Amino acid sequence: MIGRGLVKGMSITLRRFFDRPNTVEYPEKKIPMTPRFRGGSLVLDRGRCIACGLCAMACPNAVIDMAAETGEDKKKRLTAYTYHAGLCLFCNVCLEACPVQALSWSQDYEAACYRREGLSTDCLAADQRGDKVG
Amino acid sequence: MRPLVEEMIGGPAWLADLAMIAVQIGAIFAVIMASAIVLVYAERKVSAFMQMRIGPNRVGPWGILQTTADMLKLLSKEDIVPRAAERRVWALAPVLLFVPAVAAYAVLPLDAGLVFADLNIGIFYFVAISSQATLPFLMAGWASNNKYALLGGMRTVAQMISYEIPLVFSLLGVVMLTGSMKMSDIVGAQRDFWFILIQPAAFLVYVIAATAETNRTPFDLVEAESEIIAGPFTEYSGMRWSLFFLAEYANLVAVSAIAATVFLGGWQGPWLPGWLWFTAKVVMMIYVFMWFRWTFPRIRVDQLMSFGWKGLLPLALVNVVVTGIGIYIAQQWRG
Repeated sequence: MIGRGLVKGMSITLRRFFDRPNTVEYPEKKIPMTPRFRGGSLVLDRGRCIACGLCAMACPNAVIDMAAETGEDKKKRLTAYTYHAGLCLFCNVCLEACPVQALSWSQDYEAACYRREGLSTDCLAADQRGDKVG
Repeated sequence: MRPLVEEMIGGPAWLADLAMIAVQIGAIFAVIMASAIVLVYAERKVSAFMQMRIGPNRVGPWGILQTTADMLKLLSKEDIVPRAAERRVWALAPVLLFVPAVAAYAVLPLDAGLVFADLNIGIFYFVAISSQATLPFLMAGWASNNKYALLGGMRTVAQMISYEIPLVFSLLGVVMLTGSMKMSDIVGAQRDFWFILIQPAAFLVYVIAATAETNRTPFDLVEAESEIIAGPFTEYSGMRWSLFFLAEYANLVAVSAIAATVFLGGWQGPWLPGWLWFTAKVVMMIYVFMWFRWTFPRIRVDQLMSFGWKGLLPLALVNVVVTGIGIYIAQQWRG
């Protein structure tokens, strides 16, 4: 029949007209980020970290600045861990390199800032503050 | 209102007449301006809902002041005249396009007795006036001295002339049934049933041809922003451009009002007052045109032409012939 496609198209747009919108009024309402999201800042779980340095070595862009000291019990302990988001290409290799799953991504997708320094995160301090993951 | 005006002016009768005409013209302008502002907002919201978005939501509650803000922006914009343009023709085109759009409102019967001029050739007047809109497009396109504008202008002429013929023939069926071109007679003849019931093919042809006449998607080859920027409007800015825009929405309301008057019974309807019925029908027709716009993609120029001449025109002609035979049989039956 001539025009069947037209009628079908119009029925689809009519149904969409009464559907709920998929978008939100952004700055006021926000949608939760998906679990596999890569971006924002790197979140370090200090309790799990064994300061092996594999993440910093795996990183192709030298995004992670870390320092560690060996304690009296012969165990390595982190003294500094800074993540520079300005250099990061969010390739996820650091997370894959970590043998103890101490790293994760923050679910924060509003990562823009006015100054370059704002892109660097002191992950140790953030962990101490107990910044929530997502 | 006439006695009130006479009392206020207190002069001779012709002065009161003049004042009344001024009031009526002012009312038409007010309707066009208000409907343009409301319709631009409605169009954006309808398109947003059909695409599962929210649409304008920043200026005012639910974004209702968005078009007001847009209008203020247009009013305060710089008036840019292209150096190579044929200046006088270029400046005249938007005005000449706006005038027939406004003039068409004179014969729209909003309610019983509420019509600016109930001409006995009402529908013919509408057709004649609305076909004046073709030339200003070509003027704008040619005078802009811009290849896209000229292309758009030539497309307009081809499209509007082609689709005017089926439009007129679709209205002819109703005129044959009522035996009158007077708008109030056409509405009066639909007291028992609407003409859409006995002229469904004519209604279909009218709606399609009217979409083409108002240059709306899927027949928006005139503007076709993805091919020729904005067609004849390319070189216009600020208020001149918004005159084109106003005329476009004024035409949309006018063709919807004609559809409501000729096919959907005009101001006739139970319980509610006539003007409310009329408004409801016009709004419904406008929604249908918006629905078309946000559903169908633009067609090609050759498709436009072959559809108009090989599809729509024969259908309209067959409808006229069948209507004539039907009237003849009905007369024999009675006689």
